[in-house]
Amino acid sequence: MDPARINPNAEIRPPDTQRRNFLGLATAAIGGLAAMVLAVPGAAFVLTPLRRKGKESGFHSIARLSQLEVGVPRSFAIIEERRDSWVNYPKEPVGSVWLVRQPAGSDPPVIAFQSECPHLGCAINLKADRSGFICPCHTSAFTLEGQPTNHVPPRPMDRLEIETTTGSDPEIRVRFQRFRTAIEEKTPLA
Amino acid sequence: MLKPLSDWIDDRTGLFSRRRAGLERIVPSGAGWRYVSGPAVLAAFLIQAFTGILLMTAYSPSSSTAWGSVYYINHEMWLGWFIRGVHHYSAQATMVLLAFHLFQTIWTAAYRRPREFTWWFGVILLVLCVAFGHTGYQLPWDQKGYWSTKVVTNIIGGAPVLGPYVQKLLIGGTEYGNQTLTRFFALHVAVLPALFIATLAAHIALARRKGMTPPLRPENTRRDEPYWPHQSFRNTIAVATLMGVVVGVVYYNGGAHLDAPADPSSADYPARPEWYFLSLYQMLKYFPGNREVIGTVVIPSTLLMLLVLLPFLDRILPRRASHAMACLFALVMAGAITGLTVIAIREDAGNKQFHEARAKADEAQRRALQLAALHGAGIPPDGASYLLRRDPWTQGRAVLDRKCLGCHVMEGKGSGEQSAPDLARFGSRAWIRGLLDKPQSATYFGKAPGCDGMEEWKKSSKLNARQLDVVADFVAGFAKIPADLTPDEWLSHPEVAKHPGLELFQKECGTCHVVEGLSEGGTRDAPGLYRWGSADWFERMVRKPSTADRYGYMDDGQKMPAFGDDQVSENDLTMIYRYIRGEYPPPTSSVPPEATAANAAAPFAAH
Repeated sequence: MDPARINPNAEIRPPDTQRRNFLGLATAAIGGLAAMVLAVPGAAFVLTPLRRKGKESGFHSIARLSQLEVGVPRSFAIIEERRDSWVNYPKEPVGSVWLVRQPAGSDPPVIAFQSECPHLGCAINLKADRSGFICPCHTSAFTLEGQPTNHVPPRPMDRLEIETTTGSDPEIRVRFQRFRTAIEEKTPLA
Repeated sequence: MLKPLSDWIDDRTGLFSRRRAGLERIVPSGAGWRYVSGPAVLAAFLIQAFTGILLMTAYSPSSSTAWGSVYYINHEMWLGWFIRGVHHYSAQATMVLLAFHLFQTIWTAAYRRPREFTWWFGVILLVLCVAFGHTGYQLPWDQKGYWSTKVVTNIIGGAPVLGPYVQKLLIGGTEYGNQTLTRFFALHVAVLPALFIATLAAHIALARRKGMTPPLRPENTRRDEPYWPHQSFRNTIAVATLMGVVVGVVYYNGGAHLDAPADPSSADYPARPEWYFLSLYQMLKYFPGNREVIGTVVIPSTLLMLLVLLPFLDRILPRRASHAMACLFALVMAGAITGLTVIAIREDAGNKQFHEARAKADEAQRRALQLAALHGAGIPPDGASYLLRRDPWTQGRAVLDRKCLGCHVMEGKGSGEQSAPDLARFGSRAWIRGLLDKPQSATYFGKAPGCDGMEEWKKSSKLNARQLDVVADFVAGFAKIPADLTPDEWLSHPEVAKHPGLELFQKECGTCHVVEGLSEGGTRDAPGLYRWGSADWFERMVRKPSTADRYGYMDDGQKMPAFGDDQVSENDLTMIYRYIRGEYPPPTSSVPPEATAANAAAPFAAH
């Protein structure tokens, strides 16, 4: 800050101007430095969430194939231990998925959808007549294959990776992930 | 380029011209270091406001979450320890600066006409600062804050007439808990700041209006100087020094201390106030019982009244004499505060019991921090106080000590005359193997009256060391039998049916000890051993030691007393069981994290 501009009419004798300039600069510099000592850690403090990494999503055993009927979606809860900042919660439902069994011989035999709407994250429900999915918040609607049937959602329902075990009644395992909402690409939340 | 904009704003608000006027105001006899204490207090307040708002973004005021959120700030958030440390130590710096500012104001007679109102607002600021300190101190809901708050609010409750009502309103009832925290939080972050800012604004506005107090004996050689930059420079140096000192102290101490979570049941927590209140604390000791109100209410409010009336002293005494009195008063106060503080510190330094209690509190603090940091453990949803209450090493040890060690011993140590076995690693293979070797040892039944059955067996038994190993292996497996398995189901399991110890057990142990379907006893009375060493066997032993399948056959004077759940709660019993079996993460910080992680699940698995 130039003191002369702040105080253009002050009676300043010439030898004083230099001293004033120096003091003004030194005040700004030292004051700025002192402020930085707090401002930088303060910024780090509030930016903590950006620094934390999301946990790796693993596969969950959810159901057996025999529990599902072809073409009839069923909702299953994802049970996980959960850490909310400082609290460790024991296993409890943390989200849900829709499983839709495909006709015999299809690969994969089951499609898993994240139940969070790609629009703004509400939980998608089944239509009353079971002909498709509908989101109760902004009426995003989807076919049983997850394709949008109106212009509300930005993309189809998010399919989740699945694994099946071998055997006569395979176990269905789903990799539970969340995705960013309101964009056209399916991008995992990190 | 910005000039038209700034002119436009200034024209409508006067913002810049007022600022200019403030900066250009004249410092009589020139700028000086004597004027920096006020701005330094202001800077300290701004530091508190800044760090306080940051902490508010992470703090959670309830008795189950407060400690956890402060733990999270201190140990998990990026530079959280630094922000909280600055808030903590800068609060103390504020107290020091404020005391200095007050002292200086008296010394330079700046409280006098025409600055009485500036002075009175200053006195209000002093009271508000003390209130800030007290309300903030308890927010972490740790032992330190909990017990200090209890003391302070009880002091308030001891005040005549309104005391009990004010106390009840402050803590939100008669018990300390969620309402206490929400109330103190609201006071600390909203009510007090609002009052403080209003008072501070008045104080500063008046200070500017009346100008700075020139030195009592002006140095004629120095001419007047404008505030900016001459005084601003000195202020900034002072503030930077303050920052430097605070940051240094924070760094040196590694941030602010967080004690173990509040535990209303702890019997020996040595509560002490923050060091700047130690003088008040010490003063209380001189006013015992019914005269305590003198130390808690009368003296502090009299001193405060004296400060308020100080400007009027000039009216009854000559100016010089009144100032001399005021200075004497300030010096005596400073001396008394210093003296009482030193006495308080020295009394504690020489008090062995205080050190023991403090060491115990520090141990609990380290343990709580260790458990909170464990992977897979962390802070349970029902609150940080359960960190230690569900820790076998803390809770199991404490209850064992209170309830069991009058007769039993733990690794040879007990608090009474031993008349029962050593409980260390009870139920383990090592315990059985030792028993089979030397039943008459004090570790086993040597000192337990009426328990000579094993000794009698030992005299006649011809089992060699290898055979004893096999028996010990077999019996050690009893503790692992699941609760829902019947003896028949257990015996039909191939690992049990083919165990080499089975036959030896039947022949050697089964003649006295009953295990349904395996042995019938009968030779001598002895406790039943099915699922011996399991948590259920242990629980029945504690709850109903006199049943037929335990030690019901013994004489009344020799029986172990029963402990119902009114004496030892379900949780405490589990903690004792796990403690004697060593099922807890070892309490040292030098344990590799993998080792603690593996053990961590155990203490909380049941919950």
